[in-house]
Amino acid sequence: MFSAFHKIFTPENMLYLAKGALISLGIAGLSLLIGLVFGVLGASAKISRSKILRLLGNIYVEVIRGTPMLLQIMIIFNVLPIMVTHITGQVFRLNYYVVGVIAMSINSGAYTTELIRSGINGVDKGQWEACETLGMSRWQTMKLVILPQAFKRIVPPVVSEFITLIKDSSLISCIGAVELMTSAKVLGNQYYEFMSPYCLAAVFYLIMTLSISYIAKRLERKLAVSD
Amino acid sequence: MIKVEHIVKKFNDLKAVNDVSLEIKKGEIVCLIGPSGSGKSTVLRCINGLEKPEEGSIYIDHELYDENDKDKYNQLRSKMGFVFQHFHLFPHMSVLKNLTLAQIQVKKRSEEDAEKIACQYLERVGLLDKKDEYPNKLSGGQKQRVAIARSLCMNPEIMLFDEPTSALDPEMVIEVLEVMQELAKEGMTMVVVTHEMGFARTVGDRVIFLEDGRIVEENDSETFFSHPKTERAKEFLRKVMH
Repeated sequence: MFSAFHKIFTPENMLYLAKGALISLGIAGLSLLIGLVFGVLGASAKISRSKILRLLGNIYVEVIRGTPMLLQIMIIFNVLPIMVTHITGQVFRLNYYVVGVIAMSINSGAYTTELIRSGINGVDKGQWEACETLGMSRWQTMKLVILPQAFKRIVPPVVSEFITLIKDSSLISCIGAVELMTSAKVLGNQYYEFMSPYCLAAVFYLIMTLSISYIAKRLERKLAVSD
Repeated sequence: MIKVEHIVKKFNDLKAVNDVSLEIKKGEIVCLIGPSGSGKSTVLRCINGLEKPEEGSIYIDHELYDENDKDKYNQLRSKMGFVFQHFHLFPHMSVLKNLTLAQIQVKKRSEEDAEKIACQYLERVGLLDKKDEYPNKLSGGQKQRVAIARSLCMNPEIMLFDEPTSALDPEMVIEVLEVMQELAKEGMTMVVVTHEMGFARTVGDRVIFLEDGRIVEENDSETFFSHPKTERAKEFLRKVMH
């Protein structure tokens, strides 16, 4: 099963896998950041006083959460370039990694929309009222009182979302992006043995996810000072 | 100073406040009392604007307190401080920051001035030594004194108290009442929703007794407690003055 392990387990191959892991981490990190922006916008739409914005927010969340990420990646990879080519009249191709970041950001945005919305709704209504009686505007209240408290609540689920994104970044191997999963596959093809590179890839995934969990726990403890 | 005319506030089909009118003069201390669900807190919240009455009008200093006239509304609201039953301090900020936030954001005071004013009020409520603590490190009584100081930092002319001692352990009640008593002595206009009959009797100038969203009896404190007119007030006092 691990017949080629001694051949695969070399510094060069480890470096190759580490590079793949870094690409996975980078794509997941970037998608999380952009997804958070989408999440703030989505949550603002969902809690806004405008019916249309609330409807748009709901459609976004339901459509994205109700369809598989692989399908979203495929649509962006195949359909988006055709649409742009059709509109502009010039051949348009998208880089694999860009497709990955776009698809994963949109997907993550839908989940973080719900995380942020529930974080904001979870803050005691009395905090809004206290600010209101002190004469603060809705925006001042949101920025200085509600969001900082909501932020503390959403740190743990956002970390879970980051971990999910790291694992889901393996999906973009389907469109040819060379991240950790593809790197393992390349080594497997090279040595005609897949068990060792896949197990090593699993170790790299675990190193990333466990480190993030550890950092998140420390951050949570730091934020808990005022609890 | 405050004039409430025939306000009605409904929650779904229930009339929590049903045709209430009252007047509060400058420097007066008026206590709203009554059984739970009588609408006393809702009246207080309507006065501040936390609840919008469906009918009736409220005047502050002879000016209509109307949300549609935003500037006027904000200017009139800034004359009122509000103290909640559950304090509603900002848990992610130190005591000092709790007191300076609105001063800086709303009154546009410099951080230095805001801190100076905050420290003055913290000293008045006896909590200057707690200025760097977070609210979770304070007792209920201390939290409520900080909440009072936070309101006072905004220089209100009227203080509205919504059951300020109801969420406190019995031994914490006195420290909050003492602060309120001090304010009363200084001539602050106060409207207090309370179950503290001792406070209403000794500190309050006037008592308004409500039931089912209506004013049942209104009188000066001494007369109300010694010679209540209505049967309902007599029964209520018999139950609470055990």
